[in-house]
Amino acid sequence: MKNLMTIFMAEFKKSHFLYFHTNMIYFSLLVWPIILFFSAYYSFKPFDTKSENVLSEYVSNQEIGSFLLIGYLGYIFYFSLMQSAFQMAPERARGTLELIFLSPVSRLAVIYGRAMANLLEGVWLFFVFTVLGLFFFGDIQPHNWWGIPLSLFLLIISAVVWGGFLNAIFLFSRDAGFFFLIIQEPLLLFSGVRIPIPVLPIWGKFISYLFPLSYVLLIYREIVMRGASLFEVSTMIYSLLVVIIVFILLTSWIIRKAEKNSKINGSMALY
Amino acid sequence: MIKVEQVYKTYINKHRNFLFFSETRQTEAVCGVDLYVNPGEIVGLLGMNGAGKTTLIKMMSTLLSPTSGTITIDGMDVVKDALKVKSIVNMIAGGERMLYFRLTGRQNLEYFGNLYGLRGSLLKDRINYLLSKVGLEKAADTPVERYSKGMKQRLQIARGLINDPKYLFLDEPTLGLDVSVAKRLREFVQELVHREGKGIVLTSHYLEEIEELCDRVYIANNGRIIMHDTPKNLVFNITHGNVLNIVVPEINDKLNNNLRTLIELHNANIEISSNEEGILISIKSKKDITTEVVQTIYNSNVNLISLYIEKPKLEDAILQLENGVA
Ligand SMILES: Nc1ncnc2c1ncn2[C@@H]1O[C@H](COP(=O)(O)OP(=O)(O)OP(=O)(O)O)[C@@H](O)[C@H]1O
Ligand SMILES: [Mg+2]
Repeated sequence: MKNLMTIFMAEFKKSHFLYFHTNMIYFSLLVWPIILFFSAYYSFKPFDTKSENVLSEYVSNQEIGSFLLIGYLGYIFYFSLMQSAFQMAPERARGTLELIFLSPVSRLAVIYGRAMANLLEGVWLFFVFTVLGLFFFGDIQPHNWWGIPLSLFLLIISAVVWGGFLNAIFLFSRDAGFFFLIIQEPLLLFSGVRIPIPVLPIWGKFISYLFPLSYVLLIYREIVMRGASLFEVSTMIYSLLVVIIVFILLTSWIIRKAEKNSKINGSMALY
Repeated sequence: MIKVEQVYKTYINKHRNFLFFSETRQTEAVCGVDLYVNPGEIVGLLGMNGAGKTTLIKMMSTLLSPTSGTITIDGMDVVKDALKVKSIVNMIAGGERMLYFRLTGRQNLEYFGNLYGLRGSLLKDRINYLLSKVGLEKAADTPVERYSKGMKQRLQIARGLINDPKYLFLDEPTLGLDVSVAKRLREFVQELVHREGKGIVLTSHYLEEIEELCDRVYIANNGRIIMHDTPKNLVFNITHGNVLNIVVPEINDKLNNNLRTLIELHNANIEISSNEEGILISIKSKKDITTEVVQTIYNSNVNLISLYIEKPKLEDAILQLENGVA
């Protein structure tokens, strides 16, 4: 446990000095998601959700603001981890990836340490913005005081697990960047960031439930916007936990496979 | 002790030709190598580019697994007990990579120390000790991107020692270093071995370095070890000893005859040429016959203008050996 904490702090410090060394970066990490949010907000505005529109069954007109804010908060969490996975490429090119694998450190700890560190650095500013936004112009119903910390906790855990998974894929292939570009749009579309999952066709729903983000957003919105009780969301929470465990197992399998592979053809050193 | 027994390594790479058509290519980088390294000993690994030195070092340091054969370090298998082996070995490669350029020297060492589970004051002391050992105390808090090549290489050395490894693999550690830095590095390596009892495997293309440092040398060619001996013996066995150069103003019949007899007696080689000073006689022999030759010249009533002994270098030995192999 102490070792885990050491690795986490080490990755945190490293990524802080490597990637978050200028205020410019924080600035863009705030401005970019805000632009995303407003562009989504105003593209929904022209549609009249009061009438027979399918959207109106799930999101009322006043709810759109907080619906989108929560959606984008989740998305930004997940997106910032995609960034951290992209940093695997320079790590490989520098040769430092090989040095990490030369050491006896727990590979899973490094992967999750990286994810956690990048997450915290990447999202705190937008997180503050969201919280303020939800309070000032969102229509939120925090009936249960534990609702917000619990949903935030689930969001963080699931995002870190997701980030670990992406990092591990980058270990496996130096050309994983392609995969990420491909996965980014479906993540935005199918995990209910902008569009509620129930309006998706059946095959779309199927894809939705492959992303842990879908479960988190459902839980988050139920608790924060509708004031649902713990009991009402418990099935969703259990499903999320199952998905998280599957992702952790998959990640650990990928890491082992990747290391074994690299020992055969020396691919950790190739770039 | 590091024990390498009948180790083979074949790289298998997919090579994509066009669209989805690909073929697998095999490179036999190491073929049936046996070697050992004791603690407190520096072992050199020599050979031309592509001989398989780096591959061998990566296998010993657990980064690659052998295709067949076994490597054990203090009885632990590098494949099965990889994690245990990792904590007692480390590797340093030449060149400017393998560091985080935006971090300072100290931050780099802290990060790599953390990977070995080191932290707190223990790590702090270790870092200060290593920084002073490699002469980087003043630059410790400067980002590595502002370091010179030699400074980066020195930081690399400190990094490789962060876990106080029992065995250290040095893959061309003095690549591109200036003379005095390289010399200091060699002294430091000697200290590590003789005072701290570490076992070191060193590859280098600088032969004087190998000659000066190594207790034993393995010479690799095309993935095979073709020779194994002390540097001194290698030089002697391959190049057939010293070359004695003598310059005389003339060669009379008496000298000619006496020299021929002497040469035959000692199974030596003789070459005669002329230079600006006079006539140059070069005698190559296994045994040192300087005294006998000087005596002969004296007895033949010939003056001696100059005399010098050319000691063969490991370099000559290697070139000769590789020519022979090819
Ligand atoms: N990852 C790899 N995949 C395929 N072949 C490789 C790989 N790494 C090395 N080789 C091949 O294996 C052989 C041995 O390479 P190696 O790097 O071990 O040589 P070396 O003795 O270290 O050479 P140098 O003195 O140039 O550093 C070479 O033919 C090389 O092309
Ligand atoms: Mg090499």
